[in-house]
Amino acid sequence: MSNFLQLVRNENMKLYAKKGTWAMVIILTLLVLAGGFIAKFMDDTTTKEYGDNWREEMQQEMAEAEQNPDSYINVDKNTYYLENDIEPQSYGAMQFAYENTGMASIITLLTIIVAGGILATEFNQGTIKLLLIRPVSRLKILASKYVTVLLFALTLLVILFVWSWIVGAILFGVNGMNPSAVIYQMAGYAQVNLLSEIGIELGLSLVNLIMMATFAFMISTIFRNSSMAIGFAIFLMFAGNLVINFVGQYDWAKYILFVNTDLSQYREGFGGPLLEGMSLSFSITVLLVYYIIFIVASWLSFIKRDVAGQ
Amino acid sequence: MVEPAMQLVNVEKHIGKKHIIKGLNFSIYPGEVFGFLGPNGAGKTTTIRMMVGLMNITKGDVLIQGKSIQSDFKQAIREVGAIVENPEMYPFMSGWKNLIHYSRMIPGITQDRMKEVIQLVGLEKAVHEKVGRYSLGMRQRLGIAQALLHKPSILILDEPTNGLDPAGIKEIRHYIRRLAEEDNVAVIVSSHLLAEMELMCDRIGIIKNGELIAVNEVHEDDAMDKTQEVHILAEPLDKAKEVITASFGTDVQLKDNQLIVSLDRATIPKVIKELALQEIAIFGVQAHKTNLEDKFMAVIGENAIE
Repeated sequence: MSNFLQLVRNENMKLYAKKGTWAMVIILTLLVLAGGFIAKFMDDTTTKEYGDNWREEMQQEMAEAEQNPDSYINVDKNTYYLENDIEPQSYGAMQFAYENTGMASIITLLTIIVAGGILATEFNQGTIKLLLIRPVSRLKILASKYVTVLLFALTLLVILFVWSWIVGAILFGVNGMNPSAVIYQMAGYAQVNLLSEIGIELGLSLVNLIMMATFAFMISTIFRNSSMAIGFAIFLMFAGNLVINFVGQYDWAKYILFVNTDLSQYREGFGGPLLEGMSLSFSITVLLVYYIIFIVASWLSFIKRDVAGQ
Repeated sequence: MVEPAMQLVNVEKHIGKKHIIKGLNFSIYPGEVFGFLGPNGAGKTTTIRMMVGLMNITKGDVLIQGKSIQSDFKQAIREVGAIVENPEMYPFMSGWKNLIHYSRMIPGITQDRMKEVIQLVGLEKAVHEKVGRYSLGMRQRLGIAQALLHKPSILILDEPTNGLDPAGIKEIRHYIRRLAEEDNVAVIVSSHLLAEMELMCDRIGIIKNGELIAVNEVHEDDAMDKTQEVHILAEPLDKAKEVITASFGTDVQLKDNQLIVSLDRATIPKVIKELALQEIAIFGVQAHKTNLEDKFMAVIGENAIE
């Protein structure tokens, strides 16, 4: 087992010795920073602060909105605050961190790039030969690479959350450690606890991330070509929703991977399953089957095949 | 009888319908340097890849210290240090980090051992630079360093002098000889250069189209009763020719301002002494190892890759 730990250490050393990896981390932090500046200086609606007599302010806004249809005032949201008598909290670090959970799709993208390259570059650079002539089974080497990809994704998710909170704290201030907010969900507005909402959002995006990264990892193991793996996975990630539109009327459409990767469809107030006949347990089963196929396919193609010249 | 360090038993490789390797049978013993010689495309690298388990063996087996590379991979490969084709290491890391990388994969390699091999291949100055900036010779040295890290009993080097300057080649040659003679390591070296192999190896196997054509002792020509073709550069040539014919009764040919005589090894010094006594100026005497060279030229001569 310590043997395996050493392999993971090796893979991490190689991953972070590459400039490209650091470029990805820097891109992520810059995106968060840019989002913060945009929210701070250009967007008045989300960061708007209300005073003690917020009820009057909100009613006044709604009156304005009625006269001016182009107004940016969100009437529904104000109505929700007033009807439920919730005092709007000021915008702070945690609100900003919550809004940045959407960046998880960028992390998925970056993880796909790492997953597609981690094995294929060993083949491209010829280093696979010296790697495989050690007293270590090929399965362990493959597994150490896969674990490294997942660790990379987790690291980025932690960076996203912590960095978002820091940027938010500097730009908007800290508004309690566990604030709540009123956010829009498929079924309408609702008040949520931000910290747990962030946890749920990131956790759900991890499902999609793991599936796409595993897919890219499989393609790169089978074809030993990183650009092909990255291209395929990114294409599928974006084309997935289009495909659903085309084949949604067929019965077999519910077995498609992309219909099932977004588990938030089953959350209360999120509009229900995408297609008929789907449920949470159904989706989890489908995801598991795909996952096992991806893992077994990479394993089989790596463990026995000849390592020949380029 | 010494147990072979590595044994190839009827090794065959088929890729599709092509027979790349057609039944190789030979053994390499501890303390010897075995040369694997053949033109490009003969199957040298394929054979080496099978020896280290990078390629599957279609038929037959490779036994390393008695353990099969197929069924007992981990135990077998532990005995082996190798460079397969070019010494490709991670260009974005320093030489030192590359060695750390490999040292983590085999238990029991200390930092002292790493420093020892670095010193051995003379890479102390460059080891903290990125491998991407290394010259081919430096990468070759680092390649040898990683192959020696775990003190293997078998060392496999594919074209080890590739990219080295003459001084480097000499150094590596001495080093390989020392490993074989002092540490009793079995060394397998592949090359397509005969001259280089003769200097380095004890035995040379010639491979062509996936078949082992011959295995020769490099120094078998040293036997005293062995007839060798001797080229003599002397002045005046006519007189020299007369002297040799008269004194030794052998047939002498004149070619390219050289005398070509077939002589026993023991007779060569006598001929030189006689020529000197007759006050003939000798500029050079060269004994040709006809056996190996002839065989090799027969192979290399028709250089077509099938």
